Amino acid sequence: MNARKINAWHDAGLIDEETRTRLIAYEDEHARPLALWAIFGIGALAIALGLISVVAANWDEIPGQIRLSVHFLMILGTLAALFLHGERLARANPWGIEALLFVAAALGLTFFGHLGQVYQTSAPLWEPLALWLLLFGPVLLLVGRSWLAAALVVGGSIYCAWEYNYALGELIRRPSGETPPYLWLAFVTALPVFFAPVGAWLRGRSDRSAFWRRLEQLGLTYAVLGASLSCALASVGAYEDGGEALSASSQFIRAIGGIAAGILVVVTRPGLSGRMSGSIIVGAGVIIGSAIGVNDSDVFAGGLFMILWAGIAGAALYAGWRGVFQVAVATIALRLIVLSFELASDLLLSGFGLIVSGFLILGVAWLAVRVSRRFAPPPEEEAST
Amino acid sequence: MKAKVARLAVVVLPVIGLGGLWAWSDHLSRQGTEWDVAVRGYDPRDLLRGHYVEFTYDWPEPEREEELDGPTRLIEAPRLLCLHGDPPELELAERIEEDSLADCAHPARANPAGVYGYGSLRRGRFYVGQDRAREIDDAMRDRDQRGIVRIRQRDDGTITPVSIRFRPLTAAEIEERDRQSEETVDP
Repeated sequence: MNARKINAWHDAGLIDEETRTRLIAYEDEHARPLALWAIFGIGALAIALGLISVVAANWDEIPGQIRLSVHFLMILGTLAALFLHGERLARANPWGIEALLFVAAALGLTFFGHLGQVYQTSAPLWEPLALWLLLFGPVLLLVGRSWLAAALVVGGSIYCAWEYNYALGELIRRPSGETPPYLWLAFVTALPVFFAPVGAWLRGRSDRSAFWRRLEQLGLTYAVLGASLSCALASVGAYEDGGEALSASSQFIRAIGGIAAGILVVVTRPGLSGRMSGSIIVGAGVIIGSAIGVNDSDVFAGGLFMILWAGIAGAALYAGWRGVFQVAVATIALRLIVLSFELASDLLLSGFGLIVSGFLILGVAWLAVRVSRRFAPPPEEEAST
Repeated sequence: MKAKVARLAVVVLPVIGLGGLWAWSDHLSRQGTEWDVAVRGYDPRDLLRGHYVEFTYDWPEPEREEELDGPTRLIEAPRLLCLHGDPPELELAERIEEDSLADCAHPARANPAGVYGYGSLRRGRFYVGQDRAREIDDAMRDRDQRGIVRIRQRDDGTITPVSIRFRPLTAAEIEERDRQSEETVDP
C-alpha cells in the first residue's frame, strides 16, 4: 500500500485528514521492505549454494569421520534449538518449528545413508527406516503441529511396512523356497491404519489438535487407498495367481485391521464426524475382505469400488464434508467411465463407438458435476473432518 | 515440569540412537580379517554410475569340470565360501554347504538383503567419489593390470570392501590371459 493511494482516497473525500495521517503512519510502521529482503535472500541463497558445491566437489577429500561429525553436529544443533526455543517459536511462528522439525528428521534419515557410505555397509531399506521411526517418531509426535510432521510419521510407517513386507516376503521366497510368514506380514502392512484411532483419540485431548486431526485423516486415507487398490486388483484378477501375499487369509487379516481401527475411531471420538470417519474405515475394511470374492469380474469389482466410494460420499454428506463429497462423486464418475471401457473395449475400435463413448463420458461428467453442485454440503469451517 | 522432561527425552533419544549406531558401525568396521581378492570390471559396457564402482570377484576357486565349458556368467554365484590362506593373502576359496560351516575358520556368505542379493559373492561395489571412481573404472579396463580389492571378512560371514588397488600382471598371468583370449577367438 502506498501513500499515493491514501492521498487519492483523501482527495476523493472517502477518508478525512486524521484518518489519512494515521493510515500513512501505520503503513510506514508496518512497511515490509520486500526488495531489501529479496536481495538478502538472494545473497544467502548464493552463499548456501556455494557452500554446498564446495563441499560436494571435495566430498571425497573430506575424511569420512569429519563428514559424519559435521552431519551429527547439525542434527544435534537442530534438536537443541527445538528443545531450547521450541515453546517460544511455537507461539511466535508455528511454521518455523515445523520446518526445524522436518530438517532434523530429514538430517537423521540421511545420516543412515551417510554411515553406509563411510563404512561401505548395506542393509535392507526397512531396517534404517524402522530405526529412524523409532528414534525420530517420538519427537515428531510430541512436537509436530501440522500435516508435514504427520505425513512424515504416517508416510514413513507405510513405506517401512511395505519394505518389510517385500524384504521378508519376496527376498525369502524367491531364492530359497522357504515360506515367509505371510499372515504376520499382512498384519504389519495393516498397522499404519491404526494412526487413525490414535489421532482421533488425541485430537480432543491435546492443544495440537490440527496435528492429530491430520494423523487421523492420513490413517483413513491409507484405509481407503488400500480398499480401492483391493478392488482394482480384483478387476484385473490378481487374486488368482497373486500367491500367498494376496491369499484370502492375508486379506482377511488386513480387513480385520481396518474394521478394528474404524470401530476404535468411533469409540474414541464421539460425535457425528467421528462416527462417519470411523464408518468409512470400517467400510474400507469390509471392502478389502470382500474384494477377493469378486476376483476377475469386471462388473462386480467395479461395483464394489463404487459401493466404497458411494459410502464415502454418503458419510461426507451426512457429516457435512463438502470437499470429500465432491472427490467421492468424481471418483465414482471416473470409475463408471473406466467400467464402460472394460465392458465394451471394442467400442473404441469404430468411429461410431467412439462417438457413443464420448457422449457417455460427457453424460457421466455432466451428471457428476450436477450431483456434486446440487447435493454437496455447504462449505465447512476448518477442523471438522 | 513433566512436559519439559518428555521434550528433553524425545530430543535426546535420536542423538543417543544415532551416536550409538555410529559407534557400532565404527566398531564393526574394525572387526574381522582382511583379505585381498582379485577383481575384474563388472562389464566394460556398463558405464560408471556416479559415486561407486562395480566389479566382479575373481575368487581362486578350484576348477570344476562341469563348469569348464560355457561362459562364467552362467555358473551359479557362490552362496557360501570358505576362505583359506595366510591373511591378507587368499590362496583358495572353496564352496561349502551350510552344515560344514563349523569346520571353516573364515566363511564368506552372500547377503540376500544387499543390493546384489544372492549374487553378492559374485559382484560387489565400492563407494568412492566420482573422480576416483572414474580413475578406477579406467584402470579396470586396462588389460595389463589386475584390480585387487581388500575385503574385511567377519566371523559371521559378512564381507565389506575396504579399499581397491591395481598391480601389473605377472608374466604367468599375461600368458594365461593370451591363451584364454585365443580360445575364445577359436570357433
